[in-house]
Amino acid sequence: MSQRYYEDVNIDDELEPLERVPTTDMAIDFFGRDNPTNPAFADAEAGKRLGVGGALVPGLLKLAWITQYVSDWAGPGGMVRSVRAAYRRPDVADRPLVLAGRVVEKRVEDGVHLVELEVVTLAEGQPSTRANVQVQLPARS
Amino acid sequence: MAIPEQSLITDEHRAAIGRKSDPVTVTVREEDARRMRDVLGDRDPRYADGTGIAPPYVIAMLGGGPRRGMPQVLPSGLLTQQEWRFTRPFRIGEELQAVSQVYDIRDRLGGRYGYSVLVTQGTDYYDAEGNHVAAAMITITQFDPKMAASGGEE
Repeated sequence: MSQRYYEDVNIDDELEPLERVPTTDMAIDFFGRDNPTNPAFADAEAGKRLGVGGALVPGLLKLAWITQYVSDWAGPGGMVRSVRAAYRRPDVADRPLVLAGRVVEKRVEDGVHLVELEVVTLAEGQPSTRANVQVQLPARS
Repeated sequence: MAIPEQSLITDEHRAAIGRKSDPVTVTVREEDARRMRDVLGDRDPRYADGTGIAPPYVIAMLGGGPRRGMPQVLPSGLLTQQEWRFTRPFRIGEELQAVSQVYDIRDRLGGRYGYSVLVTQGTDYYDAEGNHVAAAMITITQFDPKMAASGGEE
């Protein structure tokens, strides 16, 4: 994991896309096997009854992936300050999701170096989640 | 069931807006942090065993979260928006006070269910010194599946 500095970031910089394949086991383990969750996270039939077409991928799992994706991009001296996601359509387990992102703004606020990014999860090329992420980066000077 | 002619949001529902819950004590648990890191394949050295720091997404496992005490206007709900905010990193084993409140309740006409209600609720987490640590916010679109046939497509 390398460190990214505020001065090295430019608006419209793109994050390298990252593919993830959510599974029902992941969904169950994310919350813990002893914790009751939405049955549709583990049961494809329950998901189909909701009109999803299979087991539902938890929104919290996608939010965690987005947080990790930006945190890894920022490096160990960075800090994700906020993540705001809109779930546009449900994702189905075992179907690949591609995380992609772009820098949309950078500014210094009260001496803190902030970068705003737009991040999406893409399912078959179509956005299923759109997120705005704010990350704090260290400055070189 | 037909689309209602007037809002189903009552004065009682509206009275919940801005009213803070009693604080609930929650703990940042090491087993949650480790399990979630493993599921995500997160090898960030900041959150490794022994550092005493939990990854930010452990907020998903903190009890007393934003669904607690949410007004129920319609029988079913779909998570449509979610937000996390972090003031500082979580420390493994620390106890936090979770305080929730409803931010907004509003009607929505149109869409798949014809009529739905959007409820936005959030929880702030504070440490033992009363300092803000993090916040979680969700918007749930509440709907009645019986209204689906009378509504248009999104």
